[in-house]
Amino acid sequence: MFGKLKKASNGKLLEPRTIGIPRALLYYLYPGLWETFLKELGMQVTVSAPGTRKTIEQAGLISESEHCLPVKLFDAHLAELAGLVELIFVPRILSTLPGHIACPKLGALPDCARAQCPGGITIITVDINENRTPLTESMAQLGRLLNADETVIHQATERALSALRRARAVPTAPRKPDALNFLVIGHPYNLHDSYLSGPILQKIESLGVNAELVSFADRTALPEPVKWDTCSIMHDRLQRLVPSEWDGVIHLSSFNCGCDSIVSTLYQEVLREKEIPCMTLVLDEHAGQAGVDTRLEAFVDSIKDQHEHAATCH
Amino acid sequence: MSMPQLAIEPWGNYSLALAASVECLHVRPWTHTCTTPEILKLGVEASPEFSCLSFKVTTGHFIKAAMEGVEYGVMVNSQGPCRLRYYRMLQQKLLKERGFNLFIFGLGYDGIKPPLIRHFNPTMNDFLRCCFRARLKVVTIDELETAAWTKRAVELRAGDTTRAMNACIKDLDQARTVPEIKAFRKTIPARFNQISVDVNRRPLKVALLGEATILRNSFLNQNLEEILGGLGVEVRNFFLLGEEMRNIFNIGTGSKYGWKAMRKLAKPYLGTPVGGHALASVAHTLRCAQDGYDGVIHVAPAGCMPEISVRPILRKISQDKDIPVFECSFDEHTSQVGLVTRLEAFVDVLYDRKTKKEL
Ligand code: SF4
Repeated sequence: MFGKLKKASNGKLLEPRTIGIPRALLYYLYPGLWETFLKELGMQVTVSAPGTRKTIEQAGLISESEHCLPVKLFDAHLAELAGLVELIFVPRILSTLPGHIACPKLGALPDCARAQCPGGITIITVDINENRTPLTESMAQLGRLLNADETVIHQATERALSALRRARAVPTAPRKPDALNFLVIGHPYNLHDSYLSGPILQKIESLGVNAELVSFADRTALPEPVKWDTCSIMHDRLQRLVPSEWDGVIHLSSFNCGCDSIVSTLYQEVLREKEIPCMTLVLDEHAGQAGVDTRLEAFVDSIKDQHEHAATCH
Repeated sequence: MSMPQLAIEPWGNYSLALAASVECLHVRPWTHTCTTPEILKLGVEASPEFSCLSFKVTTGHFIKAAMEGVEYGVMVNSQGPCRLRYYRMLQQKLLKERGFNLFIFGLGYDGIKPPLIRHFNPTMNDFLRCCFRARLKVVTIDELETAAWTKRAVELRAGDTTRAMNACIKDLDQARTVPEIKAFRKTIPARFNQISVDVNRRPLKVALLGEATILRNSFLNQNLEEILGGLGVEVRNFFLLGEEMRNIFNIGTGSKYGWKAMRKLAKPYLGTPVGGHALASVAHTLRCAQDGYDGVIHVAPAGCMPEISVRPILRKISQDKDIPVFECSFDEHTSQVGLVTRLEAFVDVLYDRKTKKEL
């Protein structure tokens, strides 16, 4: 694959190789993990820059037109790294949760990356299949691929995992009293890509609503009826919502997401039974914030109206 | 008591064989070899907006069946990572919401005795006989399809092949017993040889591959095979049910188009099956380049998760192996006019390449 890397006496790599991590999909599915791990191994890590309008435009230009938005964005981040580093890390994500499977698009990602990247760049990949292999084992494989010592790998794994735990445990801000409470759900790469979700979350808060983001730290979801990992975590959370504590759910979906096209029907079913209003916002390349703002305002107004109506009736 | 009816999803001409296979269950099969505009409309209206065309169309078939009073349906059960896995559950919900009582059985991956068989409980003898008959029909249809692809590209009078094909399908449908099917099979070469052909025409060879529902449904794919045949192209549609069954049941997987061979071939470009027929699309494209095909047409419902995700790989193969790949996505808005124009342009390119190569 590439030449043997020299090691220093402490087992870390002597000539740190540059390795890139696309700030997309894998980055948000395992927040903090890869960056920390690769740095701890002694690599020189570059994460592609946070998304901007230009990233989206670039994605629209270079990526397959029928991809979902997150995969398009992945392509744009990959292209950005292509000139900057020797290696790019793209794991083959088959499952991020025991008993579950990942979206099939993630499995083909390293192969697509290889097909798309100009020559001279090596795509480093390992299989992530938490259904079969513990994450730590996949990380060890990655470490060995990069020629690191077992002790270094061990230590790097520990640190990376605690970074992951910290990043996943998003603290929930205390609820403002007398405000509406919304749960915001969506794949981690939709929720935590601040270019995509930032303006929406700000708008929600500006309407005087407490918005809590769904957490992916909770790993207890069962693979029925939803087998796709992240979707199952969200479905599970919705099932456990106590109606009296929640006034609404906002689903940040992305354009052309195959998984969402199926599971949103199931989410809606759960929420209908609990009588919690739900609104789906579809993130796409061309969405203007103005339209989103109007829809959010209308959604919040209708819920407030309902509450007032209920209050006067009782 | 009248026999209960069982709706079977449309599988092109193979629907006939599938219909024959359920007769042992003492049910009346309800099926179509092709979708109608009405069925598509029913499906589109009932389905989630962003679901794929295959979902919409099978949903439409079940709704139409339910409207006609059919009590049961059968649908493949998938354990794979693509959306197909959820189709049956979702369709059952959609039917229920609309007040229909059609119950959909899942087929496959449920153990030796799927619930469908358990429910209707045929005698072993009946069951085996029907399976055998259905399998024979499937292979016969494989044979008919293959003959039609070759003839259509060189026929002198446009439509002769399609007419011959339609007549054959009708006769095959009538053939009930194994000897009857076998006797019919013997007549196939003669019937196709009657079609007068232009011996000087040297047709292009083009592969059709990708997602099976669209490949098999001539209404959904806008009659792709016939359009291409008319342009003097000999197609090979890579979805042949006989082959597919051998792969599913692991018979003859050592063959050239077997699962193992495909995985090995695709390996340098794709290290995982992805789901659906995505791996097959990659492997077949490579195989076609080796076998001297003039081009490849990759067919998928718009937004199909596995197929679309391998498109960048197909593009790379096209560059590396110098074989043109035409990407063709279908949804309920696809117009035949637009498609024909694009196909004509593609075929022109292929002819140019061929002539240049021969010079
Ligand atoms: S889950 Fe949806 S958004 Fe995520 S990669 Fe798959 S199709 Fe794209």
